[in-house]
Amino acid sequence: MKDVMGIIYTGENDTRLRELTMLRAIAALPVAARFRVIDFQVSSMVNAGIKNIGVIMQKNYHSLMDHLGSGKEWDLHGKNEGLHILPPFLTRENVGVYTGLLDAIRSNTNYLERSKQSTLVLSGSDIIYNARLDEVLKFHQDTGAGVTLMYTKDPSMKRDELGTYLSLDEAGNVVDMEIQPTHPSYENAYMKVMIIKRELMLSLVDKAVSHGLHDLDRDFLMKMVREKQYTVNAYEYKGECWRIDSVQSFFKFNMDILDPEKMKGFFRDDLPVYTKVRDEMPTYYGDNASAVNSLIADGCQIEGRVENSILFRGVRVAPDAYVKNCIIMQDGQVHSGAHIENCILDKQSVIKRNAKLIGPDAYPIVIGKNVVI
Amino acid sequence: MLRKKTCVAMLLAGGQGSRLGILTKEVAKPAVPYGGKYRIIDFPLSNCTNSGIDTVGVLTQYQPLELNSYIGSGAPWDLDISNGGVFVLPPYQTVKGSEWYRGTANAIYQNMAFIEEYNPDYVLILSGDHIYKMDYNAMLNDHIRNGADATIAVRPVPWEEAPRFGIMNTDAENRIIEFEEKPKKPKSNKASMGVYIFTWEKLRKYLIDDEADKKSSNDFGKNIIPTMLADQQRMFAYNFEGYWKDVGTIESLWEANMDLLSKPAPIDMHDKSWRIYARTQGLPPHYIAKGAEVTDSLVSEGSSIYGHVTHSVIFGGVTIEEGASVTDSVIMPGSIIKRGAVVRRTIVAEGATIGAGSFIGEETGNIAVVGHSVSVPAGVNVAAGVQVDAETTFEA
Repeated sequence: MKDVMGIIYTGENDTRLRELTMLRAIAALPVAARFRVIDFQVSSMVNAGIKNIGVIMQKNYHSLMDHLGSGKEWDLHGKNEGLHILPPFLTRENVGVYTGLLDAIRSNTNYLERSKQSTLVLSGSDIIYNARLDEVLKFHQDTGAGVTLMYTKDPSMKRDELGTYLSLDEAGNVVDMEIQPTHPSYENAYMKVMIIKRELMLSLVDKAVSHGLHDLDRDFLMKMVREKQYTVNAYEYKGECWRIDSVQSFFKFNMDILDPEKMKGFFRDDLPVYTKVRDEMPTYYGDNASAVNSLIADGCQIEGRVENSILFRGVRVAPDAYVKNCIIMQDGQVHSGAHIENCILDKQSVIKRNAKLIGPDAYPIVIGKNVVI
Repeated sequence: MLRKKTCVAMLLAGGQGSRLGILTKEVAKPAVPYGGKYRIIDFPLSNCTNSGIDTVGVLTQYQPLELNSYIGSGAPWDLDISNGGVFVLPPYQTVKGSEWYRGTANAIYQNMAFIEEYNPDYVLILSGDHIYKMDYNAMLNDHIRNGADATIAVRPVPWEEAPRFGIMNTDAENRIIEFEEKPKKPKSNKASMGVYIFTWEKLRKYLIDDEADKKSSNDFGKNIIPTMLADQQRMFAYNFEGYWKDVGTIESLWEANMDLLSKPAPIDMHDKSWRIYARTQGLPPHYIAKGAEVTDSLVSEGSSIYGHVTHSVIFGGVTIEEGASVTDSVIMPGSIIKRGAVVRRTIVAEGATIGAGSFIGEETGNIAVVGHSVSVPAGVNVAAGVQVDAETTFEA
């Protein structure tokens, strides 16, 4: 896929993720015991052979930059192409604060103009998927559509007042769109993955922004669908996907992935998900350790009891500690005698001896970074 | 023009390691997996990086394929730099002909041109056979302070075992006055670790002389060091006290893996100031299923555990099916232990499959080994100490 480039937009609204996104973008959220959300989008692109990927950053992007680095882990540290980190900046052509995706693209036209590839894959960063983008690209070429949108029929992707939904005709063309409807009436949820010719994108974005428009879905896609100057086609993604837009959905993704069948379907040998490597030794289980139905990264030391949980690198669970239905991020500690259930522990948080913290099933407790309880 | 380096490391990785039996049938010894995610060579390479030595020649000869692809660009050890880095150095042809590396000294002799490119003051000679964390820079500082021509790292061994080693007899200043290979009556318990620092100018001369000597077996231990001593060169011992394990035999490789499970482990692998780097495959975290039991074990990324694991080291991408039980064993990357199989005191090499209900190894006795990519059929017994390779036949 020498002739395809990718752009990932990471400026999504994250207020419903509360403390979890206070210090980071959704794209940088740790998930599934060793990944960040953006690993999935970048890896899908890399697995499709895309070698030029720009990541548009907006808010709290330090941890995202730290994670992506030079792009080495994704083999994106080549001489000519590779990973391009696109933070906001204030100049005549860049407005710094993007009011929408259109703004963000308009502000990075320099990068788009400089890129040589004819086709662009544009992806959001708050939907987790592991897609064969090479097949989507082939579909796009075969149909000759102006724009191809990836969507899913997965009912769990529907949200009131959130997301974009597509109505398709028999040929698979998009005939109508609902944007942030109070109650979505179409079953096809747009996954924020779009394929378009790079130059078409550039000219249309310029036209839209110069007319005071900011929203990609509303002002750009909807317009295309209405005016019918370009065909807008849709490709159905049949794999697993998750919208990470709230503490609950973040929790649900992590718990869903504990199902061995879902896990196997998602982490496929032919679609590896790459992430930053931290060179930890394998996880040690002590003499009285008991761990079941859990996903556990390297570098942990488990002496206590762990059930239905996600443990990131370097987590310590002391003897007689009990961890159930929890997500414990990097270097978290649960001391002896502590009992935690339905909790999300952000990085480096510590649950001291004999502490008891039990959240309701549907509403996990979030413990912020570096917090000691 | 390459910039001058103070010290260049040369890592001897060409040996077959024949005492590791079928484990080194397909791979060179330094590429043998260890500790749940490492290969033996990760230790000297990480030690180099952590010691600030950024130019390393790796001399390969026996089964180099897996080792070459493992080293690659050297990125996992931060050795993918423009001025220096890691270089794989196989034997090569010249107008005078071509030859294999005849001995450790000859291997370095044949690569003098590589060393000279960096015009180093000192050369560090390493082997890819040991598990240890060592600051080579501290040893180099010692070498420089002593104004030494050669410095040999030594570690204390129990006196009764001293007759099995190359022993350095030293004076009060730790200067080596005598070297005895496997002495019957040892005068010291300082055993050579096979880690040497030479002042390059000196070593260069001795390598050339040694090459000219037709009777020499071109070996550091047998020829270069005794000759230098005989010439009264300034040679010092460098005392190393930390964990050091030769993993040259099946039993010692198994023991070294089990050492990681003892409390406290004699080698601290969690030390963030001295990380051991490894090439990783980007596998998802490991999964412990409902009904699984894992105690006193190390488990690495990409593995799925449905059965029972006790006192074992499980590498990445391993599957241990329901009802299977693994005890006192080392299961290397990508192996599958099928339903109901019982594996005890066994090393299962990469990509092997143990058939359902088979019994491999025994509770006591020697370590059993299942070779690289070998498929053991269902319902068979493999006794303690037996090595199973692709040619092994099983009675129905």
